[in-house]
Order: sequence, then structure tokens, then C-alpha cells
Amino acid sequence: MKKISIIFLILFLILFTALIKNSTKRINDEIFSAEENIRSLKKDFETIKLEHDYLSSADKLLEFQRLYFDDELVQKNIQNFKIILENNDNLKIKKFSFINE
Amino acid sequence: MNKDDLRIIIENQESDFSYQKSKSHLNITFNRISFIFFAFFIVFLIYSIHLIHLGSREVKIFDSKNINQITNKLYRADIVDRNQKYLVKTINSIDIGISPSKIIEEKKLLFNLRYIFPDKDYKEVKNRIKKGKFFYFEKKVSEENYEKLMKLGDKSIEPRDNLIRIYPQKNLFSHIIGQIDDDNNGISGLEKSLDDELKNSQVSIELTVDKDIQYLIRSELVRFNDIFNTKGSAAILMDVRNGEILSLISLPDFDPNKRAQITDKNFINRVTKGVYEFGSVFKTFTLAAAFDENIIEPLTELTDLPKSLTCAGFPIREYDNKIPSNLTAEQILIRSGNIGSVRIGQKVGEEKFQLFLSKIGVLDKIDFDIEEVGKPIEFNWGKCPLATASFGHGITTTLLQLAKAYSIIVNGGYNIHPKLIKNNDLKKREKILNDDVSKKILPILRKIVTTKEGTASLANVKGYEIGGKTGTAQKSIAGNYSKKKINSFVSVFPTSEPKFVLALMLDEPKTNKDYIYHYRDGSNMKYKGTPFNTAGWTAVEVVGQIIEKIGPILATKYSEVY
Repeated sequence: MKKISIIFLILFLILFTALIKNSTKRINDEIFSAEENIRSLKKDFETIKLEHDYLSSADKLLEFQRLYFDDELVQKNIQNFKIILENNDNLKIKKFSFINE
Repeated sequence: MNKDDLRIIIENQESDFSYQKSKSHLNITFNRISFIFFAFFIVFLIYSIHLIHLGSREVKIFDSKNINQITNKLYRADIVDRNQKYLVKTINSIDIGISPSKIIEEKKLLFNLRYIFPDKDYKEVKNRIKKGKFFYFEKKVSEENYEKLMKLGDKSIEPRDNLIRIYPQKNLFSHIIGQIDDDNNGISGLEKSLDDELKNSQVSIELTVDKDIQYLIRSELVRFNDIFNTKGSAAILMDVRNGEILSLISLPDFDPNKRAQITDKNFINRVTKGVYEFGSVFKTFTLAAAFDENIIEPLTELTDLPKSLTCAGFPIREYDNKIPSNLTAEQILIRSGNIGSVRIGQKVGEEKFQLFLSKIGVLDKIDFDIEEVGKPIEFNWGKCPLATASFGHGITTTLLQLAKAYSIIVNGGYNIHPKLIKNNDLKKREKILNDDVSKKILPILRKIVTTKEGTASLANVKGYEIGGKTGTAQKSIAGNYSKKKINSFVSVFPTSEPKFVLALMLDEPKTNKDYIYHYRDGSNMKYKGTPFNTAGWTAVEVVGQIIEKIGPILATKYSEVY
């Protein structure tokens, strides 16, 4: 009986090993495919970010202002700036602290 | 039963005795089971070994991936500013080469290439094929064309990986970032000092600079270079609390995308490499040293100050002859008195003044994130040198060190190390000056900007509490002083709780008869033309204009406002 159970154990282990190996291979493939997708998306993201950084640079924005919003964009006085504070879903608007000597 | 019968029975009995044989047969059956067990065990062992091998191979693949990426010479990490905006970006590209020795059918190859790249000069390509040596057919091919070429399946077409380093901010960070050579090795700036790190780092390297502030300061410097017709100019904006540099500009600058070889000395980094005599900005150090040694107080009066002194045969005169003979210590700094500063310097003494300047990092070469750092000219101390150093004559340093020294004086006396590379190491700050130094010096620096006697009223931008000290020095050329000037202004703001130091210098500024000054003393007066090419009329005006532009960004992004 002992011998039979050992044989069954061995058979079970072999089967189990084969199953693990198969599933590992499948997971490996999925990981590889996911990694490749991430790599490709990351590359796209970096390219778009580079484009965004270039187009949103101060130099370009001023150029766009001259081209499209000549008189529409005006410099805002810092004293008119306000701070929005979020506290437990409550929004609080605070005035900017300004140095008055 | 006869005798024969009996014999047969015995034989049978013998046959029965052969039962032993059948027992041996059973033994053989058991060995077969063992054999099968052994066979299964071997199979199991093989699978186990295979499984272990697979497991270990996975790790190896992962490792080799990393190693490949790290040691790959065609890799260079990106550099971003403090807001994660790209300052340098690496893009991998593919160059296509042709190996003539591997061409099987030249006509077919050229036909296919002409289909993909119709605009190429194929006479030239044919000539190069004839020469029989490998040559680049097309550099930086698009992914679409690369795929088309690979689909041709021609072994003579050889793709080679390449690296393109893009500087999207063009000239803006040229002196900080530096350049790389054709082999992708850094040759200047951070590209050189961080060469190994850039080749090995898996993440972008973050700097302390802000590209918007850098842009605004640079555009003002460029504008005033034209107005004052300067040879060059430089500015550095530093956080006095931790030494983080938000902006560092030296003009003229260059576009690193062009990869031009720069040999003109005028392209020197005037913030870190250029060593200059800055003049009166050193008077702040003389007074700060006196405060640190508790020798005098701001209101200590110095009486009977002469209009001129003679030291080793050379006269020391006041810049402004209207300066009274009796002045308090703070009035000496506000009015930028030479003789008064000499008197304070003499009270401090040679040894203590030298030690003070060493403590704030003015005298020695600074250890910085880029290698282009100038070494201040060795100063031979003595009675007369002490007198001249007290008002900033004959003593040299870099603009970077000037900004560092002012930061230490106004931040409560804590030592700081100027840095361009962002790191969040919270080292305990080392206190090197007395508490009183900042408390006493800041109101005086503020008065230099707010009072009529002060030399920097054009920088009194409303709301930013600017303080600072001007410096006008004659330029030393081949050991002699020339009429050419170095104008500088080191500003601190806000003086009630200092956060930033903006140090600026103009190299050889000239007067401009058409420039219109808008006084910032509340009178709304305008003044046309630059009367003198001194710091009060040049560097101070530039700083005022710069802070007016960058102030809102600093106030909204970098200040605690509640």
C-alpha cells in the first residue's frame, strides 16, 4: 500500500509539475506581452510629453499669444490672486498674503 | 503401490521442493516495480531539474535585461527640471547601412530601395557599393521605413542603433546641461559631471531649476544686454534655506542641439567659472564679520573718517565725496563708504576677516555639481590687502560663491551647499555664524533699496521686500585696472523672512541715452538716459525688472502663503 501511494505521489508530482510549468509559461507570456505594451505606451507617453513640454514652453506660449490672443491675455495683478483651500470637502477661499511695509 | 510409483511421488515431492524457484520469481516481480519506480523517479528528477533550470533562467533573463540596458552605451537618462519638464530627452533612432559584400542581386536591391526612398541619389549609392566598403545609406529612418526595409529581407541592409539627444529648451540651460560628443560622452556641464550616472540611471535626473523662471530671467538679461551693450552677463537665483538653484544663466549662451565646438572664451560660464572682482558687494561681508565677532553694532558711530587714505603708496578714496565724516556702521554700508569699510575691516582684524570669508566660502574653490568652476585668485593678506579687501578691491570670487555667501549671511548663519541636482536628503544644517548677523544685516540691506542714500532704489519692487548691495568694480586686464567695469547687485527677498538670493552681474555695461527709468520711490517720476555705467543704474534696474516678472511665480509656487 505504501509503495502504491509513493507511486501515486510521484505521478501526482509529475502531473503537478507539468501543470505548473504550463501555467507559468502562460503567465510568462502574459507578463511579456504586458511589458511590451507598457514599453510601447511609455514610449508614446514620453514622446507626447516632450511635444507638450516644447509647445507649452514660455517661448512658445508667448509666440502663440502674439499670434492668436494679441490683446486678450493681460497680466494679472498678484494682489487679485486668491488661494483655494480644500478641507474635508469644504472649499475655503483665502486672500493672498501680501507684504505691506 | 509399487516401488516405481513411490519414486514418482518422490519426484513430485522434489517438484514441490522447487517451490523455492517460484518464490525467486516473485522477487523478480518486486525488482520490476523498483525499476519502474526508479524510472519514474528519474523522470521526476529530470522534470524537477528542468523546472529549477526554468526558474533560474527567468532570473537570468531579467538580470541580463537590466545589464543590457545599464551597460548599453546607447543609453543616456533624461534630465528634467523641478516640475518634471524635459530639459534633455534621449530618443533612440536607427541608421541604415549597406554592406556591399553581402549583396546578392544589386539591381533588385536598388529597385527596392528606390521604391522606399525615391529621393535618394542612386548614382552615388551605386558608386559607394562599387567601393565595396560598408556605408550608411540613410540615417535616423522612420519606423515605417524601417519596417519596409526589414521586410525586404536583404542581408546587405544592416540596421545600426543610434542615440539622439534632444534639448527642447534650446539655449536656456546650455551652461548647466553642457554638451556631449559624437560618442555620447559628456564634454561639459552636467552631461560631463554626471556622465556615468546618466549612462546607468534608470530614471530621469531631476534638477532644482525651474524652466519658466529661467526663461524669464534670461529674456530680461538678453534685453538688457542690448540696452547696456554688455560683453556678457550672468544671474543666479538661489533658495537661501537649502542652496537649491532655481535659475543659473550666463550670456552669451549656445544651443546644445547644434553640437558646435565652442572655443570663444566669451562663452565662459560667468556664474561658476568666471572669477571677478565684484567691488562693494564685499562691504556686506566686512560688516557681517564685525557683527559675527560682536565688535560693532549697526548704530555704532565711526567718527572723523577721512576723505582718502594712502596704503602702500596707493590712494583709497570715497566714491562719493559728499559722504559725511561721521557715520554709523549701517550708514557706511547704505552709502557704500570705502573709508568706513576699511575702518570696520581694521577693527575686525586680518585673521578674523580671513577666517570669516573662508567660513562663508568666498576664498576657496567651491565644490559644485558641474566641473566648470573657477578658483578665486589667491589673496596675499597683509595690512594694505586687508584695507582693500574690506571694500572689495583686489579680492576675487565667482558669482556662485557670492550668492552662497549672501545666503549664509541672511539665512540665520546656516551653511549651505549650492546644488543643481534635486535630492531630498535632509541633513542637519550646520550653524556657522551668530544668530545676530542676519538680524542686524537684513534691515540694512533693505535700507539700501528703500532710502534715498541707498544705491539700489530702482530695485524697490512693491510687495517683495527686496534688500541688497551693489558693486561696481574696475576690470583688471593683464594686471592693470581698466576703465571697463563689472557691475553687480546681490539682492535678497523678502528681507523679513529671506527665501531667495538673486545675484546678477553685467560685464562691461555702457550707458544708454535712450533708456527710460521708472522710479520706484512712489513719485512716478521718469528719467531718460543712463547717467553712469555703475551698478545702481544698470544691475539694479535689471534685478528690479527681473523680480517684477518672476515674483508672482515665486510667490505662488515656492512660498508658504498661509
